[in-house]
Amino acid sequence: MIYPKNIIYKDVVKKFEGKREKVTALKGVSFEINQGELFCLLGPSGCGKTTLLRISAGLESLTSGQIFYGEKDITSIPPFRRNIGMVFQSFALYPHMNIFENVAYGLRVRKKPEDFIKKKVTEIMELVGLPDVLRRNPSPTALSGGQQQRIAIARALVYDPEILFLDEPLASLDAKLRRYMRAEIRRIQKATNITTIYVTHDQEEAMAIGDRLAIMNTGLVEQIGSSDKIYHQPENMFVANFIGKMNFFPATILEIQGNHCKVKLEYNQKMMDLFFETNQIRTRKINQGEKVILGSRPESLTINKNDGKNLLTGRIQIIQNLGKIVRYEVSLLQDAKSKLIEVDMEKKLAGVKEGDEVCINFRKKSTLLFPGKKVL
Amino acid sequence: MSVIKNLKRFTIEQTKKDYTPYLILSIPLLFLIIFLVWPLGISIGKAFVLKGKELIWDNFTLANFQRFFTSSMYQKSLRNSFVISFTVVLFTLIIGAPMGYFVARVEMPFKKLILALGILPIITPAFVGAFSWVILLGRQGVVRYAVNKVLGLVGLSLPPIYGLFGIIFTMSLTYLPFVFLLSYGAFKSTNPLLEESAMIMGAGHSRILRTITIPLILPSLGAAAILVFIRAMGNFGIPAVLGGQQYVLPTLIHFRVHGFWDLNGASAIAIISVAIVIIALVIQKKVVSAREYETISTATSEYKLHKHLLTKVIAILYCSLVLIISLAPQITIITMSFFKQWIGFLPSGFTLENYRIIPQIASKTIKNSFFLATSASLLTALIGTLAAYITERRRPKGAMLIDFTIMTPFVLPGIVVSVALLSAFSSGPINISGTFLILIISFMVRRTPYVFRSVAASLTQLDEALEESSIISGASWFYTFRRVTFPLILPGIIAGTILTFATLLQELSTTILLYSARTQTLPIQIYNTVAEGNFGIASALSVLLIVTVFIMVYLMNIFLGDSGSSSFKLG
Repeated sequence: MIYPKNIIYKDVVKKFEGKREKVTALKGVSFEINQGELFCLLGPSGCGKTTLLRISAGLESLTSGQIFYGEKDITSIPPFRRNIGMVFQSFALYPHMNIFENVAYGLRVRKKPEDFIKKKVTEIMELVGLPDVLRRNPSPTALSGGQQQRIAIARALVYDPEILFLDEPLASLDAKLRRYMRAEIRRIQKATNITTIYVTHDQEEAMAIGDRLAIMNTGLVEQIGSSDKIYHQPENMFVANFIGKMNFFPATILEIQGNHCKVKLEYNQKMMDLFFETNQIRTRKINQGEKVILGSRPESLTINKNDGKNLLTGRIQIIQNLGKIVRYEVSLLQDAKSKLIEVDMEKKLAGVKEGDEVCINFRKKSTLLFPGKKVL
Repeated sequence: MSVIKNLKRFTIEQTKKDYTPYLILSIPLLFLIIFLVWPLGISIGKAFVLKGKELIWDNFTLANFQRFFTSSMYQKSLRNSFVISFTVVLFTLIIGAPMGYFVARVEMPFKKLILALGILPIITPAFVGAFSWVILLGRQGVVRYAVNKVLGLVGLSLPPIYGLFGIIFTMSLTYLPFVFLLSYGAFKSTNPLLEESAMIMGAGHSRILRTITIPLILPSLGAAAILVFIRAMGNFGIPAVLGGQQYVLPTLIHFRVHGFWDLNGASAIAIISVAIVIIALVIQKKVVSAREYETISTATSEYKLHKHLLTKVIAILYCSLVLIISLAPQITIITMSFFKQWIGFLPSGFTLENYRIIPQIASKTIKNSFFLATSASLLTALIGTLAAYITERRRPKGAMLIDFTIMTPFVLPGIVVSVALLSAFSSGPINISGTFLILIISFMVRRTPYVFRSVAASLTQLDEALEESSIISGASWFYTFRRVTFPLILPGIIAGTILTFATLLQELSTTILLYSARTQTLPIQIYNTVAEGNFGIASALSVLLIVTVFIMVYLMNIFLGDSGSSSFKLG
């Protein structure tokens, strides 16, 4: 039986001393992971997510700060005394042992009796969906990538660890298998209810699998929350831009009336009315006359044929038909140097082709507001 | 976060660190300090003090080095060493690189055989090669006899092989395999897509060779060149057999120690010869590192081999010629071992007596050789493996320094190692000169790099996650090492150990200063038998030695596949 533990990070700092320079991989990270939660660490490469995972497992020491499993301060406890499990990106199956011995390894370390080991291994192999593999019991190299993945998970779970660590576990699988396995991992995690930390750089994977996510950047946690919250209410421009696509427009707030705002776009000094959800104006402490950045997801923008009266005019550069949606990449006429604006439409606009002029409109309710003057 | 405040104190037992790795891993460090760093230090100190004087600051003198300016024998030795080493590097590059290219890039039969025979000269003891050339090209040598019959018609004659020419000739043939194997590997492993893309962009064959192929294999050629240079500088056997009045630095060191028991003078010569090697190494690093490239693409394909008939004929003829010349020593030795003497065109007096008397005259030296090689290679395996593990896995602050220290004997001529060990351990509180122990230590010091490199290579290839995963599963460091790391690096350990054993069996340049009547080895006996002029018996003993070494290497190749013979690039 697994008794899930929560994990608490308190001011975790990690500095690496390189040959020439010191690199601060983690710049003071504090948060809590709940019992039985599947928690994703997500961020671009070099953001410190793998370092944080390895520190959590005890594979790296921390420069300062504390980590708790439940009520235990495990900061200075070596990993082999922690009762944890880990699945590595390369799976790290032992090539010189057969499948049974690979899975049984942690139990042998714990000097469990032979019939107990047999029972546990059989159980766990059923849980990961490979009950038949034990009959042939081949060397791990004879298995497919997906099967190796399941064996690695079985090996990490068989001795009932308190916490499970997954370090980019799907990175070495092909795209189709990846989507299938991530559902499997979630099923197994929910079945055992073990507190799990899952590191990935793939935002779609993290959104799909995690109960909650931490978005990391340059050694700091930018935002923690559910997939839904992070997608629809990103706390800053980094998160907004990292999760999905976000179009940014510098603007000035002219007038605030409740959730209604009158804003002036920098591009062409034109004005428009916007309605901001969830009291963004109040929580971000934005005042009248202040310069801000407006953020809009591709699906929150629309385009139609240029009739000359509209707010933003642009020229279509590329049209991509992605099946469910049609994506238009549009360059602004007023500012040729700006990034291309992405607009997702449900249907292809009749009679509009690449090179045509169109106008872009905001859907009233779903625009986001970020303090600051410069687009990230 | 309120949880943090009511923490339970953790028992000491659980936070206790695991100190076993530190204890076990200090073994190789202690060994290196006591038997390598310390003796080298003493030896360097002695070089600045006159013979018989105490090692204190008041006795400081440069007199031992002054001989390089005053004695013509010293000057000539220095010059000889230079000339020989550079010429040998040049010859091996000119002869070996084309051979590597042919075998790698031209379609021809018997490639495996050529590669297998190609390494024979390295696994044959160098001094055995030298004395076989005496049989062929010496004063009464058979080839010289035949050639002179022809040359005599026009009033010319081929000089005997003794002297500089003979040393250069024999050394070039001995060290040819380094260049051959390394350039073969380089020609085979550069990405063919690079050459193909040049071809598609319109470059001709000679342009591709000049602008793509050669620049890419230059680092390998540089590595081969420095390897040959280091060995040519340190080789004792060949100049000792063929040098006559021509001394080189290693034979000069031997002369100083053997003739005068002047370790101080010998140390000075050793310093000079090591300094030359280090300067060469630095120059090579400078030249090569500026031209070292990393392959960017991961996609590779197989080379299309040259199939033009003329190219094939040239390649086959060239390789056969080189092989015949470089295998002549082995053939000569085997033939000689069945005859009493070989003066004039044909050997005379067929006999099995040379072999029959081996048990009588050589049972002690054979036993010594096997005992020394076995115990030294097992101990070397232990030290080398632990040292490789430290630098690869623990990565302590001084990892670079450990790496450097272990690799030092690699550039030290064997005779320099013996001078250092004698300087530290032949007088004073610890006197082990003339014992088996000093031989075993010298062997270990010299061969640790072999095991170290071999195991370090296995460790680099071993995914560290395997060990981390074991630790995470709850296994201690020792359990992990025993159940995961050790079984997986075992092939590397075995390869390094067999290589060590095979080379130790034929070790001469370290042993020559350290052996005593009690600890005489087989190579020493062969060397002395050659000196006595008893070529038949020397040949029979050499055949015994070569066959044993060959079987070892063959077994290793079976055990490890192709990678076995390529590890000879190291040694």
